[in-house]
Amino acid sequence: MDFPSSLRPTLFVTGPLGLSNVPDMSFMCSWRDALTLPESLPENSKNEAPPLATGLLWEPETPGPLPLLPPGPDPWDPGVTAQDLLFRGAFPFRRKPQAVLDVTEQLSRFLWDHGDIAFAPLGKLMLENFKLEGARSRSKKKTVVSVKSLLQDLGGHQPWGCPWAFLSYRQRRFSIVGGPVLGKSVASLLGELLHEELAMRWEQLLLDDAFTGGALAWVPGGTPQVGQLVYPAGGALDTLCFQEVSLPPGGDPQALGDPGHIQLRGPVRQVVTRTVQGESLLAVRSDYHCALWKVSKQGRAAPLQVLQVGKGATGISLSPHLPGELAVCSRSGAVCLWTPQDGLQQVYKDPETLVFCDPSPWRWADFTAHPRVLTVGDRTGVKIIDTQGPPGCGLLLFRGGAEAACRQGERVLLSQYLGECGAEPRLPTLQLICTQFSLYLVDERLPLVPMLKWDHDLPSAPLWAQLLPPPCPGYPQPLLLGGQGGHLQLLHLAGEGASAPRLAGPPQSLPSSSDSLSAFPLLEPKSQWRLQERLKAPTIGLAATIPSSASKPVLSLFQLSAAGDVFHQHLHLQADPGPHSRAPAASWTPQATACCSRWLKALLDVPPTPPVWAAPTFSHRRLLGCMEQRKVEQKGPEGLRAAMAAGRLLRQKDLGSLPSAGPPPAPEPGPEDELSARLEAAWEGRMAAWWERQQGRSSGPGRQPKRRKRRTQLSSTFSSLSGRLDLSDATSPPHSPDRASPEARPRPPVTPPSQELTQELWARGVPSERQQTLRDYMARLPLQEDTPRGVCSPLSGTSSSRATPSRPQTLQDGTAELPPGRNTRRGAAVSSSQTSRQQVLRKKPRMGF
Amino acid sequence: MSDFSEELIRSKTEDDQEESCVFSGTGMSFPWLQKYIGTVATGGKKEKDFAQTTNACLSFIQEALLKHRWQKAAEFMHSYFQILEDSDSHKRQAAPEISLQHALYLLHHGMLEDANRNLSHAETWRYGEKSSSQEVLINLIQAYKGLLQYYTWSKKKMELSTLDEDDYAYNTASQNMLNHSWKTSVNLCALIQTPGVWDPFVKSYVEMLEFYGDQDGAREVLTNYAYDEKFPSNPNAHIYLYNFLKREKAPREKLISVLKILYQIVPSHKLMLEFHRLLRKSEKEDHHKLGLEVLFGVLDFAGCTKNITAWKYLGKYLRQTLVGNHLAWVQEEWNSRKNWWPSFHFSSFWAKSDWKEDKALACEKALVAGILLGKGCRYFRFISKQDDQVLRKKIKRIKKSVKKHSIVNPGL
Repeated sequence: MDFPSSLRPTLFVTGPLGLSNVPDMSFMCSWRDALTLPESLPENSKNEAPPLATGLLWEPETPGPLPLLPPGPDPWDPGVTAQDLLFRGAFPFRRKPQAVLDVTEQLSRFLWDHGDIAFAPLGKLMLENFKLEGARSRSKKKTVVSVKSLLQDLGGHQPWGCPWAFLSYRQRRFSIVGGPVLGKSVASLLGELLHEELAMRWEQLLLDDAFTGGALAWVPGGTPQVGQLVYPAGGALDTLCFQEVSLPPGGDPQALGDPGHIQLRGPVRQVVTRTVQGESLLAVRSDYHCALWKVSKQGRAAPLQVLQVGKGATGISLSPHLPGELAVCSRSGAVCLWTPQDGLQQVYKDPETLVFCDPSPWRWADFTAHPRVLTVGDRTGVKIIDTQGPPGCGLLLFRGGAEAACRQGERVLLSQYLGECGAEPRLPTLQLICTQFSLYLVDERLPLVPMLKWDHDLPSAPLWAQLLPPPCPGYPQPLLLGGQGGHLQLLHLAGEGASAPRLAGPPQSLPSSSDSLSAFPLLEPKSQWRLQERLKAPTIGLAATIPSSASKPVLSLFQLSAAGDVFHQHLHLQADPGPHSRAPAASWTPQATACCSRWLKALLDVPPTPPVWAAPTFSHRRLLGCMEQRKVEQKGPEGLRAAMAAGRLLRQKDLGSLPSAGPPPAPEPGPEDELSARLEAAWEGRMAAWWERQQGRSSGPGRQPKRRKRRTQLSSTFSSLSGRLDLSDATSPPHSPDRASPEARPRPPVTPPSQELTQELWARGVPSERQQTLRDYMARLPLQEDTPRGVCSPLSGTSSSRATPSRPQTLQDGTAELPPGRNTRRGAAVSSSQTSRQQVLRKKPRMGF
Repeated sequence: MSDFSEELIRSKTEDDQEESCVFSGTGMSFPWLQKYIGTVATGGKKEKDFAQTTNACLSFIQEALLKHRWQKAAEFMHSYFQILEDSDSHKRQAAPEISLQHALYLLHHGMLEDANRNLSHAETWRYGEKSSSQEVLINLIQAYKGLLQYYTWSKKKMELSTLDEDDYAYNTASQNMLNHSWKTSVNLCALIQTPGVWDPFVKSYVEMLEFYGDQDGAREVLTNYAYDEKFPSNPNAHIYLYNFLKREKAPREKLISVLKILYQIVPSHKLMLEFHRLLRKSEKEDHHKLGLEVLFGVLDFAGCTKNITAWKYLGKYLRQTLVGNHLAWVQEEWNSRKNWWPSFHFSSFWAKSDWKEDKALACEKALVAGILLGKGCRYFRFISKQDDQVLRKKIKRIKKSVKKHSIVNPGL
């Protein structure tokens, strides 16, 4: 092989960054630099310089990618976002705004919302010292306290939050003795767990490296126009789908028939495919398993072998040289060569990171130009190791440090061998290394000195890269770089043989799926939000292909999102658009918008996922029901009521024939039409007066206001924001106990059926013979009506508008057991994996994640 | 609890340069975190208004550039030049770097005079105390100036070659050249002592030294460049030294010692075939052994699998080695490859595709396959079954060779 005859000048500084006082000269190996020396200048340079070096543009056919497949039947929810965890307060002491995780807030939310989970274990511990039933002092033990008397003392009093409340000696003693135990142990125990969990969540939000390498792959078919997309589907991403796709020249890709399925026992994180010596192989990485399939010429996949990785697999790659050989890395720091015939061979093991200490267990391995030499990477660097040499030896190929002019805090996110492209590789010795700031091309033959460095400045973590064959002979090779946020960049890589690799032409950013929003019809706000969220779903896979037969080169790009959607876009090569031309703005075709509308319709047919967190809504159904009997004649309010009862958007036709212009409608309210009166008052800004009037009227004995009930889903705990109780937030301290007391305490048996359930829950774990006693105690507990209204309970004023959860069915789901790990794919996926049960057991007891 | 937050996210308070990076507990920085914080944080110090504007402007430029909207980018760029007003001393210190970048651009686009002017500007730029960092930068700037002078010198050399030696003009021209070369060597000298990759500088410097007959000087420069441990292991340094020694007609022993090091760094280099030839011609037995090793080494690499010369050499040399009774050498090389070369080189897929694409290559490979794996091997069997008018004789010869030399069952 040829080596570049003259490399770009580079300063070589060894050691970690920041210790040497040397200017950053990385710009010297940035794109386009191709210094020609005079010896070759007069004669060769004209021929050497590729004719298209200046103007290369892949022009997108539409302003954004289009959906290829209908949305899956499972609802999708983005889960916890960074905003949910960040603190909103002001920091007068800090010089800069910064991220602070709001642990205190999260913990107190949890204690209030899930008191049963937080305190029940403690209660169980104390059970032997508390006597729930029977006569006063039948027990001879002096250490047993009768709860009955304790409760009797409590009877009628609400000492919480009121410093002047009367306390009996017994109560005093109990609170003095029990207080520290109750307060500290719960808080410290939970705090620790919460700490751990939040830290894990936060790390994951900042960088979710599970999908490094991408979970979407393109398996070429018998003809250039047909191939298969392989990707995971289903809410848990545990169904491997094989979708045949045709790429008609000049047309949009078409999905052919229904995809084939393989049900797996864990979430798919990475899908790799490669055709070596005419044999197509497909490797899949799950959290604790790796599997290998052989894809026949007809496109059918036959399983070859499954591998269990005890510590968790972080990367898998297929050899471009030998059919059926793989490199697998595990969290423990081990790298193994794996072939179905010979099984596993550990070639490297080091629990420490390569260059400096970094806590991340992420490891990565790929192949090199030599079939027996591998690259092994972690966050700090990349090393080349000879699998046949003595263990432990190797050569550092890339160092996160001064050699590559790295920035502080820069870490390796992806390392990939670029030499595998096509039968005759043009860049057989190049390795691509991506960090959160830059992209490096390193030649295996010249370790530590990057041949090329380019600051990609992607606004999200670049976890996918794909080098494509040149669209036409003599053209540079397109290199696709994909960020987790769906951001795509396309670079043109030139240089082979005796010339150093360089970027030919300026890099290009490609549309991401959120750019497709304009292709969809405008929707009502709720659906629009849902659509936006769906389009913004993080990308988890990327695949591209250039069908070789097309007369005009076309690049087909497929993108898989975390919501399970496959989007595609089409790019045409604009050869030499000239220095002054600008990229023509693509526009939506009628077919494209029709396709989007179809997809959207299917999306909106999927019932939305039960929200992780729900803002309080006030039930109007009961209220509407009462009014139904009153037979109000007017069309307007009736339509309004119907719309509200159905929970849909109020439309013009619901309000009957109303003047299209002019002041907002003010239907004449009937004397008894409370809702209309209230709406009207609110409209005119005289809500307070109406309220006072109403207060006076409803205080009669017959109209005893019903107790307000508020239920929250268990799983909503940590993402709940202070906006939940916005009714009172402005006026009261955030967590006065009174506010949560209605549901923190058990209720008397005379309750609607939905409350029975809570009570049963309360009674669970208590021996059956004691349950009756327990019920009796509960019956004696002070009811809310007894609380002095307006003094302690800031919510008592809302008696006419009861707060109930927006989706009552979640109550049963949510409280029937420990929180089922939320409906996100991660949680569901974990529980669906039989073999990763251990992890489930470890994760589950954590408070409601 | 607040400690926890502290521990989880540390902000870089002192360093104002990297406003956009917030660090997590792991020390990793996340450029995208700033976006999250922007949507949440309400308190804290706001950036200077001017800094905010320039940052926004920069991101607009970036976006326009990446979407190839040149016109728009230029408009934004015009506004962005206001940053030169920035009183920040750090940015002023970066001025020579910016000049150098511009000069490099001009240089790469053939605008040599402009580049020279620019470099002179950069060279004289001083801000604050001259630090070691600036010194390196100044060296680099001077080296680029030297390179420009070399360009002029090289042009003059071309002119000179057209002139008659007795001509008056010849003398002035050569005098001119001498002046240039002196200046250039001063300029280049300092930089190439600094560890780094300086291929173009070294190349041009050596060319000038050689032109004036300073062979020792040139050798010293190249030897330093190749063997100084502070420098990265640059294959070109050894290649330049080898080529120089070859021009100098250095003894074979010397050449072999240079290529031996190159072999250790880049066993796949095309010079390795030349290395093999040198070793083959050598009288020493260990050189003969190394010659075999080198050939095997070249063919280990994915980019060299279709190198017909290498296969030809290997077939020939295998035969020669086996005739010379060195079966152990072959077996030593083969042992580490016998579990992967068959599927890497000699699979039936390659037999078919090589035969289809390059029959000569297929024949050479078949010979090697037959010697190493015996006549039962798939590759050899496939090729030997082919019926080809032109190659019939050759295939017959191969069959004979395999029968005679195959290392499988050597007793037979």
